[in-house]
Amino acid sequence: MLEIKNLKARIGDTEILRGLSLSVAAGEVHAIMGPNGSGKSTLAQVIAGHEDYVVTAGEVNYQGSSLLGLDPEIRAREGIFLGFQYPVEIAGVNNAYLLKAAVNAKRQHQGLDEIDAFEFLKLAREKMALLHMDPKFLNRGVNEGFSGGEKKRNEILQMAMLEPKLAILDETDSGLDIDALKAVAEGVNALRDPERAIVLVTHYQRLLDYIEPDHVHVLSKGRIVRSGDKSLALELEEKGYDWVREAASG
Amino acid sequence: MKSANLAMHELREAVMRIPADKITADRTSALARLGAGELPTLRHEDWKYTDLRPAVDISNRWLAAGASNSHPDSLDATISGIRQSIEANWLVIANGVVDTSQFDAAAGVRLQRFSESSPPENPATPLSDLNVALLADGVRLEVHAATEKPIGLLIIDSSESAVTVSQANLAIEIAAGCDAEIIEYQSSSGEFDNYCNSSITLQIDEGAKARYVRIQDRDVRHTHTARLDVRAGAGSELDMAGYDIGGGLVRNDVDIELNQPGANVRFNGLYLAGDGQHIDNHTRVDHKVGPASSFQEYRGILNGKCRCVWNGKAVVHKGADGTDANQANHNLLLSDKAEIDAKPELEIYADEVKCSHGTTVGQLDKQALFYLRTRGLNRAEAKQLLTHAFAADLVRRAPVAAARDTVAALVNRKLSALTENDPL
Repeated sequence: MLEIKNLKARIGDTEILRGLSLSVAAGEVHAIMGPNGSGKSTLAQVIAGHEDYVVTAGEVNYQGSSLLGLDPEIRAREGIFLGFQYPVEIAGVNNAYLLKAAVNAKRQHQGLDEIDAFEFLKLAREKMALLHMDPKFLNRGVNEGFSGGEKKRNEILQMAMLEPKLAILDETDSGLDIDALKAVAEGVNALRDPERAIVLVTHYQRLLDYIEPDHVHVLSKGRIVRSGDKSLALELEEKGYDWVREAASG
Repeated sequence: MKSANLAMHELREAVMRIPADKITADRTSALARLGAGELPTLRHEDWKYTDLRPAVDISNRWLAAGASNSHPDSLDATISGIRQSIEANWLVIANGVVDTSQFDAAAGVRLQRFSESSPPENPATPLSDLNVALLADGVRLEVHAATEKPIGLLIIDSSESAVTVSQANLAIEIAAGCDAEIIEYQSSSGEFDNYCNSSITLQIDEGAKARYVRIQDRDVRHTHTARLDVRAGAGSELDMAGYDIGGGLVRNDVDIELNQPGANVRFNGLYLAGDGQHIDNHTRVDHKVGPASSFQEYRGILNGKCRCVWNGKAVVHKGADGTDANQANHNLLLSDKAEIDAKPELEIYADEVKCSHGTTVGQLDKQALFYLRTRGLNRAEAKQLLTHAFAADLVRRAPVAAARDTVAALVNRKLSALTENDPL
């Protein structure tokens, strides 16, 4: 599904990704862990197509073709979803309106008709129930005045509505209390599918208690320095990131 | 260089030609003041961003051509279109000619022409003097009972076959304890130059409530100066919003006087400007006694080569304790050729007051654009959505429900025009 080879990327004059390689297959859940500043969020933004990041070397292939140079909206319509660490508040844009516009942008790209209004509402209510979200959030401004937990749930709602092939969730667990974390994890787990790949970007092991990853990678200084199964996350939790830094430099 | 001075000789002759009626004495004294003084120029602090010379120039050409005003039949289609789009009790002033034929004066509103009664006291400004000097007729409206429909004031001009200049003057009073909804609709069309100078006074008596929507959708080649003077009585309420969609050179003055305790006024404004437009909003609130509150929120969206001005002044007079005055002005600049001059002014001479002001000028949020694009919207769609969102709240809060759909349609049309063909 996703093949990244020797990826180098910078923002301004600062090189952040320094030769990163990663392979993610359909049906898998990968966790990317690492200390602050290791390049986790940059990786997520580069895959989604943020223009501030310049790719200087390497390849990012998705379903066999290169993503580099594609507009973010094309990547989204092709099935890539980025769940933001800090979802943007957009006062004045109705949440339901954006959800519907997003669903229809994708459907149009696939040559399908726009979603029926009734069908859309039914689907949205279903997904919201799964995430324990009050249906009134549909009529509020996008993330406007939402708590941290509500914003993250809203991200997962968008993901559930868009049914991406590749979902990258950037620090979805940050700022969540335990109930919100469980609700978000439940939502993500419900979206696990043999056809779908999920990449969890996280600083802490905590999220992985609720969403069990197939593979865990440790990022340090813009490179993956260790990969393993879920036990690697527990090891990290125990030994801390200094252990990785030492391992990386040693 | 266009002249800053009115052609007084021609002006005097034009005033003399107006048949004698109950306004005559006021016309004569207004003319005398105009002759002794001068129209404001860029040297006046309140006019430093807005050059009135185009208005003077249009007026002089209209005076030289015989200074005639008539209600052209060509406007009838537009008038009936507006009447159909908004359900209201309409009073029409077309090219300065008052038409009360469609107005239902039995529905809780008393109507009197100035020419048959007496004109009200007008603010002592040169533009008001110009208005009164050339005023063919004006209308006093008194809301004395419940009204079924909003009062509609359509001030419309046509310059299809020649340069036109018009004066509109209305005095509205909402009697104690009454509620009224008012929709002011400014419209114009025509190839030739047009200058419309309007002046409205609104008196809200004790415990009365006014909801007021002002729509300015004039031709982008035309010139417009508009005064609104509000006097809010004890315990009265005003909820007002203005929408500047069109107009080439536009100057709005809103002056609100709170001289009785317990008045609460809210007045908002949205101005949308594209190439060649100049829209100046000057507001002034005089808090003469407390407790009383005033809230204003103006928002602007500018694209292309244009200029907008927002100058919001709140004066809290000595002894006006318990005043709550708030000003906010937010601007979205979509082009580096667009210019906004934003100036909040607070003058506080009382002790127990709560005053705040905030002004922002910015571009579309890049992170929000990226966020929308990762949800599948292309750049143009994302820009449009964010631009509409910036205006959406003020549209949704249009104080008169009957005007809301029209406001939304006009705003959407204008924003689509402003954002389409935008370099990506």
